[in-house]
Amino acid sequence: MSAAPVEIRLGAEIVSQPYVLDAAAAKAYGEGIESPVRRASRRSIHDDKDAARNAGFVAPIAAGEHTIAVIAQFLADTFGMRFVRGGRLSVALTKPVLFGDILISRARIERIDLDGERAELKIWVENQRGEEVLVGSAAIRMGQA
Amino acid sequence: MSEDKRLPMCPENLHEGTRLGPIHYVVSPEQARAFANAVGAANRDFIRDPKTGEAIVPPTMRLQDYALLIATHLKGGKGGVHAKHWCEFHEPMHIGQAVKTEGTITAAFRKRGKFYFTLEYESRDAVTDRLLVRQAITSVLLNDKGEMR
Repeated sequence: MSAAPVEIRLGAEIVSQPYVLDAAAAKAYGEGIESPVRRASRRSIHDDKDAARNAGFVAPIAAGEHTIAVIAQFLADTFGMRFVRGGRLSVALTKPVLFGDILISRARIERIDLDGERAELKIWVENQRGEEVLVGSAAIRMGQA
Repeated sequence: MSEDKRLPMCPENLHEGTRLGPIHYVVSPEQARAFANAVGAANRDFIRDPKTGEAIVPPTMRLQDYALLIATHLKGGKGGVHAKHWCEFHEPMHIGQAVKTEGTITAAFRKRGKFYFTLEYESRDAVTDRLLVRQAITSVLLNDKGEMR
């Protein structure tokens, strides 16, 4: 969350560095979260071809929250405390992310409140084929923490 | 091993108004480092909150608390597919903070043959009760065959 200086003006678009969401990234993500302890192992759409196929996917898919975490971190790195204290995020996961996909997070400032307190952003994540895998909105505070 | 009295995770047991949790934890530096690395944080070390001087953690590090909340009340199932999510970040979590998280199922419905549910949950400082994060997940529940219907 090193909030590089970003000019907050209407129409400004911010683009992330590419993020490779492969099996290694998924494993690292799994080590950074706390999951329920299961009494029996469960094959899931995230690690088993048959489970993924049953659910309608061509191959195991990345966890949706992993993609959400990637764009949330991009916003936190870009806007710092303006996002993590008083910001918000609302997203829909529109397409599965397959392991090996390369994600680019994007944000565009769509509106700045008349009182100058908040800015509203359109946010989305694209894969290497230019397909949107996540779309939504976010808000940041204009003032410092 | 004690008897597991939790209900099976299935549409019949997911009802609007059901409260889940609370769960309690202390925010650990090891988890924060691992998470920051995993999501490609620009600064992998802890950031100091300019207001309080405390080391704070990435904003969605505890997003997965929804799964812990579900596990307090329900067991088994084939999992789900994350469809939507929203978060309001009121105050950042900091290293060493004791946190309490609880939630409520706010919607459970069928749409185009799929069963959806929404779980709203919020995390508060366990000592001061100050609101940190409020969020909600909407998920498609997989049926007992692992299908999305």
